[in-house]
Amino acid sequence: MKRPTMSEITRAPAIEISGLRVYSPSRQILRDVCLAIPHGAVFALLGPSGAGKSTLLRCINRLIELSPGLRVQGDIRLMGRSIYAPGSDVDALRARVGILFQQPAVFPGSIKKNVLFGVRHLGKAPKRLWPEIAERALRDAALWVEVKDRMDDSALELSVGQRQRLCLARALAVEPEVLLLDEPTSALDPLSTEAIEESLRRLRGRRTLVMVTHDPRQARRLADRVACLQVRDGAGEIAESGSALSRID
Amino acid sequence: MTGIRALETESVQAQKLARRVSLTQWTSWVLCLIALTSLAALVLVLIHESWPVWRVAGIDYLAGKQWLSSRHLFGAAPMIYGTMAVAIIALGCAAPIGIGAAICTSELLPRRARLTVKILVELLAGVPSVVYGLLGVLVLRGWVYDLLEPLDPLSGDTLLTGGLLVGVMILPTILTLSDDALRGVPASLRAAARGLGLNARETICRVVLPQAIPGIIAAILLALGRALGEMIAVFLVVGRQDNQWPERLWSVTPLISPGQTLASKLGGSEIHIAHGDPLHWAAMVGLGLLLLGMAGGAAAAAFLLQQKQLRHAQAS
Amino acid sequence: MRKLLDLTFRAAAVLCALLACLIFGWIVSAIVWRGFSVVNWRFLTEPMRLAGAEGGIFHNLIGTLILLSTALIVTTPLSVGTALVTAFYIQSERWRRLCLLCLYVLNGVPSLLFGLFGFIVFVSFFGWGKSWLTGGILLGFMILPTVSVALVERLRSLPPLRMEAAAGLGLSRSRIVWFVLLPQCLGGWVSGSFLGLARAAGETAPILFTATIFAGASIPSGIKENPVLTLPYHIFILAQDSFDQAIGGKVWGTALVLLMLAFCMSLVVLPVRLRIHEEADHV
Ligand SMILES: Nc1ncnc2c1ncn2[C@@H]1O[C@H](COP(=O)(O)OP(=O)(O)O)[C@@H](O)[C@H]1O
Ligand SMILES: [Mg+2]
Repeated sequence: MKRPTMSEITRAPAIEISGLRVYSPSRQILRDVCLAIPHGAVFALLGPSGAGKSTLLRCINRLIELSPGLRVQGDIRLMGRSIYAPGSDVDALRARVGILFQQPAVFPGSIKKNVLFGVRHLGKAPKRLWPEIAERALRDAALWVEVKDRMDDSALELSVGQRQRLCLARALAVEPEVLLLDEPTSALDPLSTEAIEESLRRLRGRRTLVMVTHDPRQARRLADRVACLQVRDGAGEIAESGSALSRID
Repeated sequence: MTGIRALETESVQAQKLARRVSLTQWTSWVLCLIALTSLAALVLVLIHESWPVWRVAGIDYLAGKQWLSSRHLFGAAPMIYGTMAVAIIALGCAAPIGIGAAICTSELLPRRARLTVKILVELLAGVPSVVYGLLGVLVLRGWVYDLLEPLDPLSGDTLLTGGLLVGVMILPTILTLSDDALRGVPASLRAAARGLGLNARETICRVVLPQAIPGIIAAILLALGRALGEMIAVFLVVGRQDNQWPERLWSVTPLISPGQTLASKLGGSEIHIAHGDPLHWAAMVGLGLLLLGMAGGAAAAAFLLQQKQLRHAQAS
Repeated sequence: MRKLLDLTFRAAAVLCALLACLIFGWIVSAIVWRGFSVVNWRFLTEPMRLAGAEGGIFHNLIGTLILLSTALIVTTPLSVGTALVTAFYIQSERWRRLCLLCLYVLNGVPSLLFGLFGFIVFVSFFGWGKSWLTGGILLGFMILPTVSVALVERLRSLPPLRMEAAAGLGLSRSRIVWFVLLPQCLGGWVSGSFLGLARAAGETAPILFTATIFAGASIPSGIKENPVLTLPYHIFILAQDSFDQAIGGKVWGTALVLLMLAFCMSLVVLPVRLRIHEEADHV
């Protein structure tokens, strides 16, 4: 298992969140969140439910803007560039920062169509490369062996665990620099959880992973760094953050 | 042991109670049967009354291009043509606008603006057809006349006028039902697509619309049924000119001249004249039967599509 | 390129919605603007004179209200029975769907055909002539699907738990119907009925040959040969020769009254209908 070297971690962080506040019409949801997430690290966000973990995650790829009524203040820098800079392209940002939700949302249609969904519609790669891309993404998501003979079957026939891995493959196929994972395994059986964890472990170093989890043991198994959110006066804030081994206990 | 025995007898009693048809249940069944047999009665009465014309004219009734009651020539083809023309013009106008507006309300607008539009549309759906007819007679007819001025039309009463008017009438139907269909698509699919970096248009066209398409087609079919059967508004602006069979089926000229639809024919005073003459009467009622077939078919198809989508949504 | 397409697409959709709202605004303002000066208390309470050129629309208003209340009385027991059978008594899913199919087809039957049917059965066969009762019955059957479907939807949305709880208390099925189901679906009944009545108020086609005349009727005193005056038929006739200025004003006034009648009934049920739409949000 290769951990990122010190020099990699001390380089300018992949994601730098500073002074992030999120308000709903009635109250504050997040208060002054500051975080630096290093390149190639696996960064785990812990905290009680309702602390604003998902909200924080959705700020990083600006998916938050699709939920009406929420207001975001502060700044987030991705690879040193502010994602809120005027004239920046939200959709391009979301292609660079993939996301995996708690519940897998597969599109009706074949498995192949699902894996290649982003590649196809973003026009990222020429058509002849598609089979190769699909295979690589499915291998990375630890699903290839199970589906390689039925790529044209409906994706709706897969089990929940397989669907979640399919969604992971779909996100990986567009080669995002950062992958956000919102409790990716909390709806899954132990076997699928194991498979997903295994593929996340293999992605370490190649992608920056930000993972929300409510399971400290999972964070210990996977993460290099952790941050804990807590609720104080009704709004979520960072309670502590640091390297995984020292913090979780 | 006795406890189980007691439970058993109790459940047996409960079953007996359930099996005994109560007065409430009996009444409900009778009322339901009355309600549903009204549909059968409608169909049977129309078939029975129009029987003579099917027997005498047969297929010529459908294909015949002449309707001359004095010579007992009954051909419904021009009216079928007129009905279709009006319905197609109406759908051609209303479907794109209605679906576009539904996309706007369900996908793009924030909650409050969406509610406003929906309220307006619900109210628009409540405007009586005779009011549309009045506006058609006093306003739209003049506009169409002005529009067609260079072609030197006889009047503003044309199939086109009828089609435009019906188009406005069915717009709310298409809009609300399409909006419902679009909103039926799970939000998680939208989030997944946006999360991959697809923009709003791509998400709507690639993910939302394909899912909602059966519901949207159902909306169009329901609107079609209404357009086919609309009488009052069409009656007032369509010109009610008999025997307007177009020489070339796809030419535009007949559309900008007066015509007749099945419904406008039935709404006219000819029905009172026809009542004395069995064959003429049968021919008139036959028009109603044709209308019933077309509109009822559209409604049934719409229902089946909606059901299919419902089951589809439950499956995924 | 992608951005441009996206922008055009969204602009087009917004334009469509604007257009729909504009059409609505135009229709309402056109009628209010022309009819507003005519409508006053005397217009509503005076009988018509000189073939609509003078006087008011009192009897037309009364006639329309008579037809609507008859329709409501006819349709309520029928639709409640239908809804109970469809949503509750029928056990097999297939038969339930057949029932619903019948309701949808009935809903799709052009209203004109109800008029034709009524003419054949009531006017000719029963020999009632033109009668308000025929009109009421026909309108009642016409709005039956609307009311029934609203009731069925309401009944099917009731949590089955509540029914099990009632059954667990030892209530018989008919008691469950009377004391649990029917009170619960009052909302569905109101919304369905008003929606249907808003539609029925403006319908001309079903009553054209069966229930209404243009002039010479007042409050009906029996069933046979007792037609009524109605608002929509009044407009329908006047619209056909409305070049007379005096008539022109009156017909817009009548249209305004009819429009307001329909709007009021739609507005009553608007909260319920919007709640249904918003509930769909949270799925
Ligand atoms: N769109 C929204 N509007 C209003 N409040 C919201 C919205 N989304 C989330 N919230 C609120 O923000 C808080 C944090 O939610 P979330 O980020 O989902 O928490 P977590 O993922 O940590 O369980 C919750 O209390 C929730 O009610
Ligand atoms: Mg969450």
